[in-house]
Amino acid sequence: MAGKAIWKGYINFGDVNLPVKLHTAVREDRIQFHLLHRRDHIKLHQQMICAYEKEPVPAEAQVKGFEVEKGKYIVVDPSEIEQADSESTRLIEVHDFVKTGQIDPIFLERVYYLEPDTNVKGYNALAGALKEMNIAGVCTWAMRKRYYLGAMQASGKILRLTTLRYADEVISAGSLEMEDIPLSEKELKIGSDLINQLTVPFQPHKFENEHQKKLHLLIEKKARGEKIAVLRPRQLKPTASDKLLQALEASLKRVA
Amino acid sequence: MKTSTPVRLPSKLSPHSKTAPGAQGIWNGTISFSLVAIPVQLVKAVDSGRISFHLLHNKDYSPLQRRMFCPKEEKIVPPDEIVRGYETGPDKYIVITDEELASVSPERSRTIEIIEFIDMKEVDPVYFDHPYYLVPAKGGEKAYRLLTEVMRRTNRAGLAKFVLGEREYLVAVYSSEGALALITLHYSEEILPDEDISPKEEKIESAEKTHIEKNIRKLMADFDPDKYADRRRKKIIDLLKKKLKEIPPVEAPHVEEEAGEGPADLLEALKESMLKVKKNR
Repeated sequence: MAGKAIWKGYINFGDVNLPVKLHTAVREDRIQFHLLHRRDHIKLHQQMICAYEKEPVPAEAQVKGFEVEKGKYIVVDPSEIEQADSESTRLIEVHDFVKTGQIDPIFLERVYYLEPDTNVKGYNALAGALKEMNIAGVCTWAMRKRYYLGAMQASGKILRLTTLRYADEVISAGSLEMEDIPLSEKELKIGSDLINQLTVPFQPHKFENEHQKKLHLLIEKKARGEKIAVLRPRQLKPTASDKLLQALEASLKRVA
Repeated sequence: MKTSTPVRLPSKLSPHSKTAPGAQGIWNGTISFSLVAIPVQLVKAVDSGRISFHLLHNKDYSPLQRRMFCPKEEKIVPPDEIVRGYETGPDKYIVITDEELASVSPERSRTIEIIEFIDMKEVDPVYFDHPYYLVPAKGGEKAYRLLTEVMRRTNRAGLAKFVLGEREYLVAVYSSEGALALITLHYSEEILPDEDISPKEEKIESAEKTHIEKNIRKLMADFDPDKYADRRRKKIIDLLKKKLKEIPPVEAPHVEEEAGEGPADLLEALKESMLKVKKNR
């Protein structure tokens, strides 16, 4: 089942106005650990400590500061920050429709399922149109005091809304300034052949979180008082650049 | 009268500044495919803490530090006295050491082994979790370049599993502007089904669709993320600029850098997971 509805709003563009409900699409299941004091296993708490006095500081004695240069801060009152909070308008305003392929995956943040609320006809027509044209609606909305940027897309019969990261939060791959090292045609050819040999359809269901299961087993074993064998992680030897072609050829031979 | 030196606006307040890619790596290890092994470093691809505030002590404006505190002894506990425990009952824990944790999947904690390649277009975006980049470490430059270029030409992404801290990640590695991008993927059991909220009536009325398409066509454009700025952040930047002009910033007392804090990995990891929890709320 989809997560419970967390918000209601209206998709709006031109003279189209469609009521929808947002549902979470992902639920993470992660093993939880606590931090304990080694000698007596007392559960530790996180506290904010004054770097100068080295003493815990209670919440009422904490203020927020923006660091303008090292050690210098502009102090901001919570009420001043609140003024920047959005007012919820319930509008999911679509500004542009773009080809889905133009949105780099790096921008995608969190996915919500949209459930039609009252106007199912309009919902179906919008989902159908987005699917057929292979496009996404770039939209903004205000929810829980924040402004969100998102992409609305069709998936099957359902509309989805994926929050997008703002441009200034994303570090572009180009800014990493990777060195352009010359490669021989032969290296590229064998490399491509190798990748083609190893290509399969994407089947997410075949991947399980084995690690989490093993971790549970380890905890059970330890709870029974059994000894745990400690295995060392193995570090692979890097392939030297003058051995690259050789390694590629040997790899291809193995899979072909 | 003392002349105060004008306070320069930090680049953080300029709306279009982009932080240089994280010099500090999150993880060092190897990425491998078949018999080729490439030493790499995992670096961040997202920097969301743009307008981040520090918590200060209202009395002396000294920054506050997150520390683990023992409620029984009422004192700060240094990292070397902290252990990781799994709760089995009220106040009952099984302690798991770093070594034991690393033993769970020893082959995956140092290596991102690409087990197969896929067409990135086949991956439903609902699987995407968090993006990073991989950059080559010394000696890995050429093989890195080869993998990047070959994946670009074949338009393929590599699938791998690797272990970082307490978690195992399923990841997709793909080529992006001459670099390797890595996106962690959700496991399929974490994706919630959507059948229960799907429309019961599936018919699409053509008049309705034509009407919607007409509205869509008026708004067709190229995706330009720079067009949209976070309005909340903009307002906060304006507020900070205004305050900076009106009153001089406060100054924190000087504190000697703490030495011998030891590896704060556990604390860092905790902080990370706390952030994650907050984000997921």
